[in-house]
Amino acid sequence: MSSSPRRVPWVVKYRPKRIAEVVNQDEAKSKFVSWLKSWPNVKKKAALLYGPPGCGKTSLVEAAANEFGYDVLEMNASDFRRASDIERIAMRASRASTLFGKRGRIILLDEVDGISGREDVGGLEAVLRLVRNTNNPVVMTANDPWDPALRPLRGNAELIEFKRLSKRDVVRVLRRICEAENIICEDDALNYIAEKSEGDLRSAINDLEALAIGFRRVTLDVAKTLLRPRDREHNPFETLRNMFSAKYCWQAKISLSQSQLDYEQAMLWIHENLPNQYTDVEDLWRAYEALSRADVYLGRIVRSGDWDLLAYAVDLMTAGVAMAAQNNPRDKYRWTKYSFPQKLLLMARTRETRAVRDDLASIIASHLHVSTTTAKNDVIPLLKIIFTLNPKYAAKLALGLKLSEKMIEFLAGPNKTLVMRYLEELKRKQSEVARKAEEHYVPRKESGENAEEGSKVKHRATRKKGGGLLSYIGKSKQ
Amino acid sequence: MVNQEEIVKRLMKFVEEKNMPHLLFAGPPGTGKTTAALALSYDLYGEEWRKYVLELNASDERGIGVIRTKVKEFSRSKLPGHVPFKIVLLDEADNMTADAQQALRRLMEMYADNTRFILIANYPSKIIEPIQSRCAVFRFTPLRKEDVIARLKWICEQEKCTYDEEALEVIYEIGGGDLRRAINILQAAAALGHITISTVYKVVGLAHPREVREIIKLALNGKFVEARERLRNLMVNYGLSGTDVLKQMHREIFSADLPLPEEMRVIIADYIGEIQFRIVEGADDEIQLSALLARLALLGRRYNIKL
Repeated sequence: MSSSPRRVPWVVKYRPKRIAEVVNQDEAKSKFVSWLKSWPNVKKKAALLYGPPGCGKTSLVEAAANEFGYDVLEMNASDFRRASDIERIAMRASRASTLFGKRGRIILLDEVDGISGREDVGGLEAVLRLVRNTNNPVVMTANDPWDPALRPLRGNAELIEFKRLSKRDVVRVLRRICEAENIICEDDALNYIAEKSEGDLRSAINDLEALAIGFRRVTLDVAKTLLRPRDREHNPFETLRNMFSAKYCWQAKISLSQSQLDYEQAMLWIHENLPNQYTDVEDLWRAYEALSRADVYLGRIVRSGDWDLLAYAVDLMTAGVAMAAQNNPRDKYRWTKYSFPQKLLLMARTRETRAVRDDLASIIASHLHVSTTTAKNDVIPLLKIIFTLNPKYAAKLALGLKLSEKMIEFLAGPNKTLVMRYLEELKRKQSEVARKAEEHYVPRKESGENAEEGSKVKHRATRKKGGGLLSYIGKSKQ
Repeated sequence: MVNQEEIVKRLMKFVEEKNMPHLLFAGPPGTGKTTAALALSYDLYGEEWRKYVLELNASDERGIGVIRTKVKEFSRSKLPGHVPFKIVLLDEADNMTADAQQALRRLMEMYADNTRFILIANYPSKIIEPIQSRCAVFRFTPLRKEDVIARLKWICEQEKCTYDEEALEVIYEIGGGDLRRAINILQAAAALGHITISTVYKVVGLAHPREVREIIKLALNGKFVEARERLRNLMVNYGLSGTDVLKQMHREIFSADLPLPEEMRVIIADYIGEIQFRIVEGADDEIQLSALLARLALLGRRYNIKL
């Protein structure tokens, strides 16, 4: 069959048929399977699978569908830009399930992070409607679930994280394919392909296929020549070396035009490595002053839309920085170990936490009628104290503000489990009270619901109930 | 000079007559501006007030475009007979640029027949003249010490917290006439149990560590890389903006706890102002603040500072 003239791409041919065949991702698998099995008795009717490209998100959905007997109705990012399309597919899904009786359908929305908040507002809202009213499991995938535009989706979906595949995982799959296809491939070559893929199994399989088609025998040399990045531009390290050591302005300027880095990335790299290159504080200050002025020009470009200004920004960030070493001119040529911009790493590492913090700030902002900045600067630090020192009281606040588990973790740190336990207790008591109230046929008071809320919230509530402005006077008189 | 009680009396007149002009509430934080606006809304509309009040925060709603769309949609919906007008509540209005305020002025005119605006600001002078002249301006003053303490006591009674009398005075001294801040501190201190002077100080110390001062010291001592690292963590983890950090730095460099030559304080203040201007012009927070730290390192060497 494999020699038939119509070839199926390997990524399709070797797509897992069973859940067990999906490489690694045990945690995600068990979370997803238990969610799918208990559907529709689940807290959230949709699941959002997220992780880097080519780590098995879509594969898992298809394998699970295959194993549990679902059909998959798939939509791609480009399809669900229009609200009407999404409504159409939702209709189709519900109609089909009544028609064929038992066989269920999974609605798969691939790459939801492709819907941009600004242009496709209608699309995002239609997805939300679908998620809330669906009669079928909805599964979404995304590379980056922390995109602010996806915030409403995050709240309505079970979040399931996929890890980046290791080089070993990728090599193992490639080797299996080689055996199945009768390809002779050097181990070094497989390693090279896997390394280059950075955990993206799909791209690794595509690369392997591309190499194997012509050669049948894949060697490291072939892999290196064919898979080498086409650009011959200078990498960041070479760029920095050339720029700092420039004797003349034109040399410094040319170092950027020959670089892989664009001017914004270059700015970050220079900023990161300046204090490593220049040892004298006055030189350092001169360089920073130039960089700061360059940055001002970039800001002006954004404000005015005048790209002519870019030339001046480039002058200052390259030549301005290179000519700054006046006290210790030999620093320019000193060998320095350059490092990747730490800011980018820090931002990537803290992305999830920051998203949680921002969600928390908007909850507080709307409860207390303040800006999110005030919530972050003035309220969250105090909440953190309460959550770390008084878990019982913290649980009450968490209940009143309806905080998520992640938010509680953000505030309480290692105390999280304690707060969660008290919170469960409170919830249980609350539902008991509600049940008893029902048994005794006591009509529920409007305010009863708020009674357990955190005190700050409660003050507002009681004040409002007590009648606006009058009690307001009372406040300053008491 | 009008104080809050007289403001309240006038606001109650508006409720009685079911009519009011556009309003501008001005005054320092925590003096009851937002609370007064919400209370007024409640008196006008009762339990259903949220239907007729659009609450916006100018610091969060980026740009006049968002505000325009929201106001447009809000004022388009029909009013039932018994409701004379709807209210747009625009908090922190002094954070809007002059251009955005001009656009806001046009909005106020366009929807004047069925919508009233209540603008809230810390600094009325930052609100452009044409808007001020369209509004009845109410100036809120910082609360008196006895009022703040009485309110804190009342809350303690409601919440069944025990307290030392002096602890409440300390809270007032920390917060000044800012009641919101005082209540926030009270609530956190109460979480530690009986409220004493030491729990109050503990709470304030934990909430606002002297991180900014440490960063300044490191930079002045020539430890630029460490200072930059701490700065970066402060901004990313606490979510502080560059301007937030600059304002704190500005406070710190005039603090007696930082022994610097007096002339140096002035030089630094000037440069902080310059950096803030660059950020306002659209420059990047971290690069600008790093430039400031480099400058501090240089000044530290020139003045031979050892902290």
